[in-house]
Amino acid sequence: MDSNKKYWKGLEELNQTPAFVKESKSEFAEPIPVEDVLNEAGLSTRTPRRDFLKALGFGLGAVTLAACNRTPVHKAVPYVIKPEEITPGIPNYYASSFNGQSILVKTREGRPIFIEPNPNGVGLTQGTDATTVASVLDLYDMSKLQNPQLDGKDVEWSKLDSTVIAALNKAAQAGKQIAIVSTTVNSPSTLASIAKLTDKYPTTSLVQVDAVSYSGIIEANKNSFGKAVVPSYNFGKAQVVVSVAADFLGSWLSGEEHSQDFIKNRDYKSLKNGKMSRHIQFESGLSMTGSNADVRIAIKPSEEGAVLISLYNEITGQSVAGGTTNAKAQTAIKLVAKELVASKGAAVVVAGANDVNIQSLVNAINTQLGAYGAIIDLDNYSKQYQGSDSTFQQFLTAAKGGQVGVALFLNSNPVYNYFNSADVEEAIKKVDFTLSFADRKDETASLLKAIAPVPNYLESWGDASAKEGVYTVVQPTINPIYNTRQAEQSFLVWAGETTNIYDFVRQNWETNILAGTGKSWKEVLQAGYISKATAAGSAYSANVDVASVAAAIVADAKKIAGEVELKLYESTTLRDGRYANNAYLQELPDPVSKVTWDNYAAINPKFAEQLGLGENGKVTVEANGKSIELPVVLQPGQAMGTVSVAVGYGRTSVGKAGDNVGKNAYPLASLINGTVQFAAKASVSKASGTYELAQTQTHHTIEGRNIIRETTFAKYQKDPNSESGRFADSHKTYDLWNKYEQPGHKWVMAIDLNACTGCGSCIVACNVENNIPVVGRDEVRRRREMHWLRIDRYYTIEENGNKYSKENDIANVQDFENVTVVHQPMLCQHCEHAPCETVCPVLATVHSSEGLNHMAYNRCFGTRYCANNCPYKVRRFNWFNYWNDSRFDNYLNNEFTQLVLNPDVTTRSRGVMEKCSMCIQRIQAGKLTAKMENRKLVDGDVKMACQAACSANAIIFGDANDPESEVSKALRNERVYYVLEEINVQPNIGYMTKVRNTFEA
Amino acid sequence: MRNISSVLGRFAKSISVSLVLLFAVTMSSNAQDAKEGAALFKANCTACHKVDRKMTGPALAGMSERHSEEWLVKWIKNSGALIASGDPVANQIFEEWNKVAMPAFTQFSDDQIKGIIAYVKEEEAKAAAKSAGGDGAGSGAAASSDANTLMIIGVAAILLLAIGVIVILSRVIRTLEKVIANNAAAIEAAKARNEAHEESGKVKFAQKFLKNKKLVGFTALMVVALLAVLGWQTMWNVGVHTGYKPVQPIKFSHQVHAGVNQIDCQYCHGGAYKSKNASIPSANVCMNCHNTVTAADHYDGETSPEIMKLYRAVDWNPDTREYGNNPRPIEWVRIHNLPDFAYFNHSQHVSVAGLECQTCHGPIESMEEVYQYSPLTMKWCVDCHRTTEVNADNKYYDQLIEAHEKLKKGEKMTAAMIGGLECGKCHY
Repeated sequence: MDSNKKYWKGLEELNQTPAFVKESKSEFAEPIPVEDVLNEAGLSTRTPRRDFLKALGFGLGAVTLAACNRTPVHKAVPYVIKPEEITPGIPNYYASSFNGQSILVKTREGRPIFIEPNPNGVGLTQGTDATTVASVLDLYDMSKLQNPQLDGKDVEWSKLDSTVIAALNKAAQAGKQIAIVSTTVNSPSTLASIAKLTDKYPTTSLVQVDAVSYSGIIEANKNSFGKAVVPSYNFGKAQVVVSVAADFLGSWLSGEEHSQDFIKNRDYKSLKNGKMSRHIQFESGLSMTGSNADVRIAIKPSEEGAVLISLYNEITGQSVAGGTTNAKAQTAIKLVAKELVASKGAAVVVAGANDVNIQSLVNAINTQLGAYGAIIDLDNYSKQYQGSDSTFQQFLTAAKGGQVGVALFLNSNPVYNYFNSADVEEAIKKVDFTLSFADRKDETASLLKAIAPVPNYLESWGDASAKEGVYTVVQPTINPIYNTRQAEQSFLVWAGETTNIYDFVRQNWETNILAGTGKSWKEVLQAGYISKATAAGSAYSANVDVASVAAAIVADAKKIAGEVELKLYESTTLRDGRYANNAYLQELPDPVSKVTWDNYAAINPKFAEQLGLGENGKVTVEANGKSIELPVVLQPGQAMGTVSVAVGYGRTSVGKAGDNVGKNAYPLASLINGTVQFAAKASVSKASGTYELAQTQTHHTIEGRNIIRETTFAKYQKDPNSESGRFADSHKTYDLWNKYEQPGHKWVMAIDLNACTGCGSCIVACNVENNIPVVGRDEVRRRREMHWLRIDRYYTIEENGNKYSKENDIANVQDFENVTVVHQPMLCQHCEHAPCETVCPVLATVHSSEGLNHMAYNRCFGTRYCANNCPYKVRRFNWFNYWNDSRFDNYLNNEFTQLVLNPDVTTRSRGVMEKCSMCIQRIQAGKLTAKMENRKLVDGDVKMACQAACSANAIIFGDANDPESEVSKALRNERVYYVLEEINVQPNIGYMTKVRNTFEA
Repeated sequence: MRNISSVLGRFAKSISVSLVLLFAVTMSSNAQDAKEGAALFKANCTACHKVDRKMTGPALAGMSERHSEEWLVKWIKNSGALIASGDPVANQIFEEWNKVAMPAFTQFSDDQIKGIIAYVKEEEAKAAAKSAGGDGAGSGAAASSDANTLMIIGVAAILLLAIGVIVILSRVIRTLEKVIANNAAAIEAAKARNEAHEESGKVKFAQKFLKNKKLVGFTALMVVALLAVLGWQTMWNVGVHTGYKPVQPIKFSHQVHAGVNQIDCQYCHGGAYKSKNASIPSANVCMNCHNTVTAADHYDGETSPEIMKLYRAVDWNPDTREYGNNPRPIEWVRIHNLPDFAYFNHSQHVSVAGLECQTCHGPIESMEEVYQYSPLTMKWCVDCHRTTEVNADNKYYDQLIEAHEKLKKGEKMTAAMIGGLECGKCHY
């Protein structure tokens, strides 16, 4: 039974724009000029015999000469003294941590090449986010400083130290402040080293400020509970989640850990038990979290508070003034409130606004729902965002008043990411001595007197404490490559201490963290973490004066309410901009818009129509007296009268990859109510010119085929097979081909569409593992991105209960607010009857006895027939030697960065087709380990890179010949269907239907 | 007088004969002891001692002067006991050598130990004689400079001789030319006769050959076939480097190490058993043996110059027996070069399949310098995969039920049958 829902990949396909139709018919963006050559004029052109002979002669001579070079002599240089733990060719794993997540760093011959989650860790154990996997590339970044600098010139550390100490002494004598301006510091050893400096110079203070601030929550919790902290959330216990503009699966707090817990109530195992949570999202821009919501209501940023007030009223039965007047929201809130109240103790409301009043109201609602202790944990609170907007305000005022003698900037770049950078620059000028610990000459560092570059975390000793009571260790996996020094070490040196950083970190652990736990330092280095957290948080009751808070919310909402409202957001891929020079992240498509290498103004298509904007248009967005010009994305699901812009772009001095990519949107933020807020009254006007964004999604067309299957939870409960639309159920199939025998293993994959959030960390993991090149914006525009694994995003539209299933009906749609989204990871399906195999003239792609579709790069000579014949469009062609071509200088084109390459995987050459190999190097390694240990291969021995990075466990890989393997069990699920099953290519990757827990009328 | 002298002479003779006899007897007994001592010394002492230089233990030269024989016997038999007994000399030595105890040799008889001492004395005498004979390096250098002058003289003599020969030959040529000039007419006539005869023979042959079209065709075919075969072979061998034997920075001999000394491959190339790389041993592995093995026997008591290169690489001073901090890695020239797109894993072949190293690397134990023995072509790999039987005892293969059933039927399971010929096994 086929679903009658209509899915489309993008508006171009929906509207069948002439450009899209034209492009969809041709395989490649730039057609091969066959007609030009074979037309009458071309055929009648005479090539003079002499010219022909000249060309022939030159060609022959050139080829002969080129072939004459001698085989190069390869040197083999062994270690002089080989470290005992290293065996060349065998990876070593070290426990470390990144942003507080316990990770394993895979190193080969002493160089880190891959980051995996620590499966025995704490918190996020089942995947990593895109920034974590990509962070290994930052180690090999060429744009980093190689030496400390004073007034822009390289100096010795001793010279820098004496200058800094003199400045510190001067400030101390004058009684001036010494400020360490930093993003959140939760590392116990960093704090301890700062304490040492404070002992020596008592006027030292730590000013924490985050680019994307959570001080609204901190302030609200201080008022409501007397605890000035950001709580931690356990979405695993939530059956109903209401999010008001919080991208809690993406960039909000620790999105990836939330995904891991949240999906546990929604994946195939949970559905098998007949359970599924419900998620309702109110937001203006279509965020990744919103795209996964069961019900999503588009609202304007100024309505966020009003929605919460209405919700509070519905839940408590009170009638606080200031509720929402949005009709759609009102209906939804009524239903939602019932749900929330019904599942008290398993329901939670989260809000993304950085506003103390909104967050106070949320606290009151959550107290009513009994979420404290059950889902929200104020005891084992999160320590990831402790930045305080008001403290930074005070610092700026003090600095401008000349009261600050020394300012040290640690992981902090306020000139770029503070909304009022002019203010910051003015403050910096008034400080006697300024220094940055940045690893590069970033926007702030280039204005300062000195730079004391810090090494990458993979070269450092340290620790982190992302949650109260949970400590993770950072241990180096490589010696510092450049002449860098950890900030902690610098603090110690300036405080007159001689301890080296390793001893300092170790002593600090042994005296402060490990004492009484019975664990030794070596055990911690091996485990990577230690948890002293209490089992569960206790219940709290918020003390909120709802009436006055609501009044304040209404008053503040008026400040941002307008005909057009702007919403700034942190993008899932690039976050706050600190990873902007990471080419993997720049080329990772946005989960929803699929835009790479740029930020943009997302506007509802109907609203854009009103503004007279179309595809490739540009707008000027003006808010708070500042304006930026951005390309437009017509974003279905975007609330009418709103425009969303991602921050984190537009860096000007971060490095080759990240400089001048997009526009900096931070200046459009403003300070309301003492906190930096990302919503504003705005105006949008059409700008001249056009700009083509590098989008990946519309590069292929689905030609109206039914490749997404979606059902509702109610239908699923009646019949688990609902909407799975398996072709084989209703058709008899015939095989023209012989069946392949797979006596040993049969490698297959199951992908749970209900678990996939579309975050894209699998894409980055695949890139890193398989040496997949980054091609850059221009090449993406030409549809030449190399990703072996992509996540396709499909929209469907529902309005007033009508499903729009025909293209012609779309014109009747009033607005594009009610859009639902399905994310579908798409990779080589390793078909049993692979169409690519039969058309390859040189047998470069053939089937294996383990069910894989092999690709022999050295055999391929680039006819591209296979890509043409692939129904899934997952084969990618190398147009260039991306890793050795000066035109792609932002990435691997240097020997240093090439050290990130996985030595077990070939770097493909120009003119060669490539595609997902099912991480065959990992399969082979797993088999070899089993053989060496003289045992059978066990389920779970081999993990795909994408699978390892997936925190939602949406990708399940294994051996179908083992009936007890997880994947065999998953593929026996009723929801399983195969994409394009009807053409009988017999794919080896099964998908499970998307189930949406909607309200049934 | 004559009588007296004869008596005296006889007397003297007898004395001298008896003396000589006596001396000879003592000498031979000494020699006998020393010979046994030599064997014992080589078997038990050389790991830590040398006569003329310090090793793990002190240099032994002059030990008989420094200590009484009785003391030495006690020391060698059980140094520990001697130290424990509070002997001051023993304790002093023990302290001096960082309290490294010399193992006890209680199994030796006193005579055997004396034999060792005798041997050491003999060696000492030899060393002294050598240094006296040479009187340091001076005489050696003189000898070598003598050799140099000798060589120069030799070269000069050869040159003179050559000039002489040239002069004589030119004279001969001149006389012969004169003879030719005198008989020019006769020669011309003879030549003409000869030529006419020969030419007609050649032409006839060619004419006959060309008339026979079949023969021409056949010959042409043969030439083409020959060229084709040669071309084919050349093309096949492009990029095949069988026999590639580059000059290595150190003349390391596998013949000495793996052949003569029977060192297991795994001792140096441990990676081959557990990793994809066989791995060239790091220099510290070499130093496990070479901090004592200097091959001085073959280099007149000097350390082998090749081993000196190793010492330079690890920055080891053999005299002070200390490492410096300026090591320089040895840059070996890689012999077996697989292209980047071919994945090869040693451990799969060595540990899992149980192949001998020699199967691919040839008679490595007899190679003075290593060369590429196998062609390393894909055909070579595939041929082996086609014929090599899989070691089905490995429990991993239990999964290959199908294959096992075939085994039961008595067919053999080759690598090729379980996917060993598939592209993705080596190319990814």
